[in-house]
Amino acid sequence: MSGAGNREAVFPTRQSLGLMKSKLKGAQTGHDLLKRKSEALTKRIDEAKRKMGRVMQIAAFSLAEVTYAVGGDIGYQVQESAKSARFRVRTKQENVSGVFLPAFESYTTDGNNDFGLTGLGKGGQQVQRCRETYARAVETLVELASLQTAFVILDEVIKVVNRRDINSELDELDREEFFRLKKVQNKKQRDTAAQDAEMRVKREAAEKAEAASGATSSDKENESGTVDILGESEDADVIF
Amino acid sequence: MEGLFFNVNNGYIEGIVRGYRNGLLTGQNYNNLTQCETIDDLKLQLGPAYGDFLASLPPNPSTSTLAEKTTDKLIAEFRYVRANAVGALAKFMDYLTYGYMIDNVALLITGTLHERDTRELLERCHPLGWFETMPVLCVATNIEELYNSVLIETPLAPYFKGSLSHQDLDELNIEIVRNTLYKNYLEDFNNFVNTDPDMAGTPTAEVMTEILEFEADRRAINITLNSFGTDLSKTDRKKLYPSFGRLYPEGSYMLSRAEDVEGVRLAVEGVSDYKTYFDAAGMGQSSAGAGNMSGGTGGDGKSLEDLFYQKEMEISKSAFTRQFSFAIVYAWVKLREQEIRNITWIAECIAQNQKERIGNYISVF
Repeated sequence: MSGAGNREAVFPTRQSLGLMKSKLKGAQTGHDLLKRKSEALTKRIDEAKRKMGRVMQIAAFSLAEVTYAVGGDIGYQVQESAKSARFRVRTKQENVSGVFLPAFESYTTDGNNDFGLTGLGKGGQQVQRCRETYARAVETLVELASLQTAFVILDEVIKVVNRRDINSELDELDREEFFRLKKVQNKKQRDTAAQDAEMRVKREAAEKAEAASGATSSDKENESGTVDILGESEDADVIF
Repeated sequence: MEGLFFNVNNGYIEGIVRGYRNGLLTGQNYNNLTQCETIDDLKLQLGPAYGDFLASLPPNPSTSTLAEKTTDKLIAEFRYVRANAVGALAKFMDYLTYGYMIDNVALLITGTLHERDTRELLERCHPLGWFETMPVLCVATNIEELYNSVLIETPLAPYFKGSLSHQDLDELNIEIVRNTLYKNYLEDFNNFVNTDPDMAGTPTAEVMTEILEFEADRRAINITLNSFGTDLSKTDRKKLYPSFGRLYPEGSYMLSRAEDVEGVRLAVEGVSDYKTYFDAAGMGQSSAGAGNMSGGTGGDGKSLEDLFYQKEMEISKSAFTRQFSFAIVYAWVKLREQEIRNITWIAECIAQNQKERIGNYISVF
C-alpha cells in the first residue's frame, strides 16, 4: 500500500500527527464526495455506452444505405476530399471537490463542407445523411470519452485518499524513531562500560605506581605494570 | 430489315446475354434470401446462381467481400461477351465501359492531386473501367503531366477536350470534373447510338435513347437536388446537365434556376413519370425530406433514388422484349449491378440485424 517512493514527507512528531489526522478527516469527506460523484458517473457512463451502441448501429446502417445508393465504395473519395475537421472538440476543466476534471465539449465549425459535393451524380443525399448520423455517433463518443476520463481521474484520486497513507507513515516513523533511540541507548551503554573499564585500569595503575613509589622495592615490577597498562588500553581501544 | 443480318454477327451474343438474363435472381429467390438468418445461409441460397464465385469465401464473409465476389461474376461474364463481340457491338460495349472509366480516372486524379502512391489506387479501380493505358496514369506525378501526356492517351480524351483544362483539374472539385466528364460521355453515347450506321434507326437506337435519356434526366435531377446547400453556383450547375433527355431544354433550364426541392418539382412537372416519383417520394412539399433526416431510421416509403432505380430496372427489363438490339447487353449489365446491390443490401441487413428494412431491394422479375 504505502509505496516507498511517493511517500509524503512528514516530520515525525505528535504534533504533526494531529495535523495529519485533521487533514485525513478533510480528505475523507472529500473522498466521500468524490465517491458519490464517481457513482453518478458510472451510471451516466452506462447510459452513454448503451446510447453509443444504438447510435453506432444506426450509423453503420446508414453507411450501408450509402453503399446501396452510390453502388460502390466512396470511402477513398471522402477521405481525400476532407481537408479540415468539421467536428471539433474543446476541453474545459471542471472542479469536483478540489479535483480538476477535464470535460470535452464538441462543436461543429460552420461553413466547412469539404465533401459536400460527394455523390453529386447519385447518392449525394444519402452521403450527407450518413455524415450527419456519424457526426451524432462521434458526439456520443466524445460524451463517453469525457465521462470516462473523469471517471479514471476520480478513481485515481479516490485510491490515493483510500490509502490512508498519512497514518501508516506516522506509525512507520514512530517505529523508526524507537529503533534509533534503542540503538543510541545501546551505544551509550557500551561507551560507558568501556570508559569504566579504562578508568578502572588507570586507577589500578595509579595505585600500583603509588605502591611502587611508596615501597621502591623493585623497578622490574613497575616496568611490567606499565607494559600491562598499555596492553590493556590497547584492548579497550579495540572494543571501542 | 435490321433483323436480316443481325444474327450473322451478333446472334450468339444475343443468345448468351438472354441466357444470363434468365440467370438473374427472381422475386422468389429474393424472398428466400430475406428469410436467411446468417450470411452463411445467404451464401447457400446464392449457391445455384453464383456457385463457383462464392466457393472460395470463408465462413460468414463480410458483406464487402460478398459484393466483391458477386461483382467478379459480372466481370467474368462481361469479358466473355466482349471477347466474342465484333463490329458495332464491340464498340457499343466499349462505350458501356467508359462510364466506369470516368470513375477510375476521377479516382486516379484525386490520388495524383494528393500525391498518393497511385499504384495502390489501381486496386480500388472498377474492373469494368479498366483500360490498357490506365497503369500509365500512375507514372504522372503532377497534374499537368497527367493532363498533357497521359489523359490524352485514354479513351476519355475527347471528354476532357474543350471542357476541362489542366488548371481545372487542379482547382475544380473532383466531383465537378467527374460530372462534367459524365455529361460529355452521355451526350457522346447518345450521339453514337443515333448516328452509327449499324445502329441508327434500329431497335438499339430506340431502346438506348430511352435508357440514356432517362439516365441524363436522373443525373440532372440528382445534381440539382444534391447541390442545394453546397457552394456549387447555378451557372456551374447548368454546365453539368446533359444537353438531351426528356427534360431538355425547358426542364433543364428550369432546373438550373431551381433553388429548392419545390423548384425541382416544378421543373419536372412536364414529364409525368418524374412528377409521379416526386409525389410518391413525398418531396416538393414544405416538409421536404424531413422523414429522411432522422438518420436512417425513418422512412418506410421509397426515396426518390429508389424510385429512379426502380424505373431504370423496368426500362432494362423491357429492353429484353425487343429483338435484334444491342441494348440488351446494357440492360443486362444494369440488372446485374442492381442484383449485386440487392444482395449487398440484404446481406447488410442480416449482418446488422435490421430486418425491418430488408425488403428495400428492387426486384423486377
